[in-house]
Amino acid sequence: MSKVIMHRLKATNPLCALNPFNEGSRIHTRLSRQNVAGQRFFSISGCLCSRAPPPRKSTPTVDIPGLERVTYADRMHYVPGLAKPKFPPWHRGWHDPHHFTGPKYEEMPLYKEKPCYMINQRTNMLEGVKQALWLTKSKMIKGLPSQVLSLAEDTANQIENQDERVQQAIKHARFWDTTEGRPARERFCPVLVQDLLHLCRTLQVRHPSLGKRILAENYSLAAYWNRGADLFQVRGRNGLLLNSQSPLPPVAGKEEVASTSDLVLETFYPISPTIDLQLSHVFQEKSQTGFQDGYPYPHAHTLFFMESGVKHRLQPEQLRAKMIMFAFGNALARAQASYGTQPQVLEQPIVVQGVATNGRTFQFAVFQLNTTDLGPDTGVKNMLWLDDDQDLYEYAKVRPIIKKKVVRVPAGLAGYQPDTFKKFLALYLHGAV
Amino acid sequence: MATCTRLAWRTSLPRHVAIIKCKRSLHSDTLKREPVYPAIVPSKTAKSKSAKRRREEDYHNAVKSATVQDKLQLLTKVQRKKYVLYPQTFALNADKWYQYFTKTAYLPGIPDKFVVEVGENDVQKAPAITDKNAFSELRSLVCDSILQENFYLKKPKPFLLKEQETLFAPFIKNMVSGITSALAKHSHLLEVSSLDFNPQVNFYWMRGERTVPRGHRGGRVDPARFQIDDTPLCQIRVPQQLPEFLPLETDVSVEVPEIRFAPDLLPMFRRQYDNNIFTGSKLADPCSYGHTQFHLVMDRFQRRKLAKANLVDQIEVGLRANAIASLFAWTGAQAMYQGFWSHEDVTRPFVSQAVITDGQYFSFFCYQLNTLALTVQTDTGNPRKNFCWGTESMRLYETIQDGNIIGLDDNVLKLLVQFLLNGAKLM
Repeated sequence: MSKVIMHRLKATNPLCALNPFNEGSRIHTRLSRQNVAGQRFFSISGCLCSRAPPPRKSTPTVDIPGLERVTYADRMHYVPGLAKPKFPPWHRGWHDPHHFTGPKYEEMPLYKEKPCYMINQRTNMLEGVKQALWLTKSKMIKGLPSQVLSLAEDTANQIENQDERVQQAIKHARFWDTTEGRPARERFCPVLVQDLLHLCRTLQVRHPSLGKRILAENYSLAAYWNRGADLFQVRGRNGLLLNSQSPLPPVAGKEEVASTSDLVLETFYPISPTIDLQLSHVFQEKSQTGFQDGYPYPHAHTLFFMESGVKHRLQPEQLRAKMIMFAFGNALARAQASYGTQPQVLEQPIVVQGVATNGRTFQFAVFQLNTTDLGPDTGVKNMLWLDDDQDLYEYAKVRPIIKKKVVRVPAGLAGYQPDTFKKFLALYLHGAV
Repeated sequence: MATCTRLAWRTSLPRHVAIIKCKRSLHSDTLKREPVYPAIVPSKTAKSKSAKRRREEDYHNAVKSATVQDKLQLLTKVQRKKYVLYPQTFALNADKWYQYFTKTAYLPGIPDKFVVEVGENDVQKAPAITDKNAFSELRSLVCDSILQENFYLKKPKPFLLKEQETLFAPFIKNMVSGITSALAKHSHLLEVSSLDFNPQVNFYWMRGERTVPRGHRGGRVDPARFQIDDTPLCQIRVPQQLPEFLPLETDVSVEVPEIRFAPDLLPMFRRQYDNNIFTGSKLADPCSYGHTQFHLVMDRFQRRKLAKANLVDQIEVGLRANAIASLFAWTGAQAMYQGFWSHEDVTRPFVSQAVITDGQYFSFFCYQLNTLALTVQTDTGNPRKNFCWGTESMRLYETIQDGNIIGLDDNVLKLLVQFLLNGAKLM
């Protein structure tokens, strides 16, 4: 046997030793399993090894007081038999933001023993609307209030060629907006909302008070409240906010508000109401609407949420919960700004509307904040009107869906539902007509 | 060789001429009949000049007879390396170059239509808002939208090079949507308009040619191709065309500057990717004509940065270049959507407007597209040229102090309103 083959045999020896079926083979090896353990074979691929090598045993370091270990610090390199030196932590002597490590939470000035549960725009609440109702102490009523629905039904409030123009807006968002075949969801969802808002704005010809509105994006909200024994906060940026110079009129009258005190809130017992909320010990009890004092459009009118993300997309139930929480947060911040932070039943309820969409399905909500006394489960409740899962259209396909040579869904816009836009328009007109 | 010998044969033997003439007269009788054979045309595939000419003619006929959708596809189908023209460019004195690439004559000032003359009520004049209440409403709307973004809204410090985007883009969006909806009662055109935010506008055309210096195509003549990819901040599209500023064949004695250098020297760079012609919406959209575009100057080309780099003279030049490039792209794409291209030149002028702003300074531009025949074959002897009118930049306000806007210039606002009211009498 030549030298080269001998070398190869030596290289394969450890592998053969691992394989119990090879024992009777011609290649005789003296290596046993114990010798092989702890070695890695870089000459063969990982899948051939039967298992990963065991972790190295760590020898415990023994510190004897009064005795100094002999280290290899002065040699400046590893020496077998000598201990590893320990040096004090090194500071570069100047502030480098890339290598900045903050203090521990416990040492921060804002650290508090009692934690706070945070709700931000990424919060994905497991129980959805039920959880949001418990947190905001609200009574839910299915469907939109009658005032809003009557606005939707009134033909005097319609845009000329309304259905045609809405369909054009949908087609613009879904088909015409890009040189590519199909725009991405991140693009068509905001485009659709902006197109619909542009359509709504054309009604300013008939209702000049619609001009007293302005859109605000990227404002940052903060509101806090006590619920039961826990502290909660709604924080951060959220959707596109339509602000108005005049507040929305209360949707429910005083008797209706007073009657809500009999309601018993629905619980979802084995699951905690604080599930999926961010727990924080370092926080500030801050309440701000996101705008300076003296802002000429102080009243939040409608919040628009565009659920256009791909990676962190919320399910419709969770999206509704987010919409309710932020509509509540805006109302609460407004109430705390105008009535003070003391919990109380509000003289003039605050109404904020919410519209959330994923580019096809719309969720509508009207939230009325009756009380900021959210601690106990008894007493007056807040009210929420929710109209969920309203499709603006069924399909908008660039290419038809064909199954078994039958066209299931034709290309183009299919299943347009005019009622959804009527509700959108009614929510926009609410308070100005 | 053959012709030489035949000539020699003819001249040397004149008695044969009679025979040839006789033969010709014989043949002339048969010519009146229907030709049995098809006309002899050059080959399609041969490597000859006539074959190349025939291929070109076939291509032109195919484009001419196609529908608009197919036309756009045929004209943008072949990908070659093309010069990419950036509307906002760092190149110095780019406006002259851009004028040459787009065959645009620049006329300083705004068109006569917008010049307000007291006591004249011409139909051709653009309407202006005379009602003082309506104007003060617009004024307060603009003030509110400026103050909202710069004073009332609590927002973190903008990220590096995102200042314009965070502070002024929402202001422009709010202002445009607010003013548009407020003016809808004066102009039905705005009521049926479509408002896009951050749309795509693309245009692809050929202008000039060069000889390929080396390589396997060395020595051949190649047209220079150009592509503009533009994203205005917002644009208003309308279903009806805006009225022209000048009649189509008007000759204005303003020359288009001629650049004799290669575009690489601007500098411009060549890339190869999809050729696109796009107005911001596909062909099926009924709002296929442009009204007004709004552009935001990028952080890189901010006034104070240019001043710091000792390029104060380039501020207006950059704005002009931006207007010429963007408006040519948009108006050209609108004309292409109506089926015009370089070999079927426009039969009516196309008009669009643009406002370029950095949030404080506003400049106004109008563009009239008179010709799309910019290729070398169609450009010779074509007296038409495109026109671009533009103002110097005007300051909307001086500063913001404690929630008050100091020195708001009403003239800028009036001009903006006039721009948006253009075409109010159309519908």
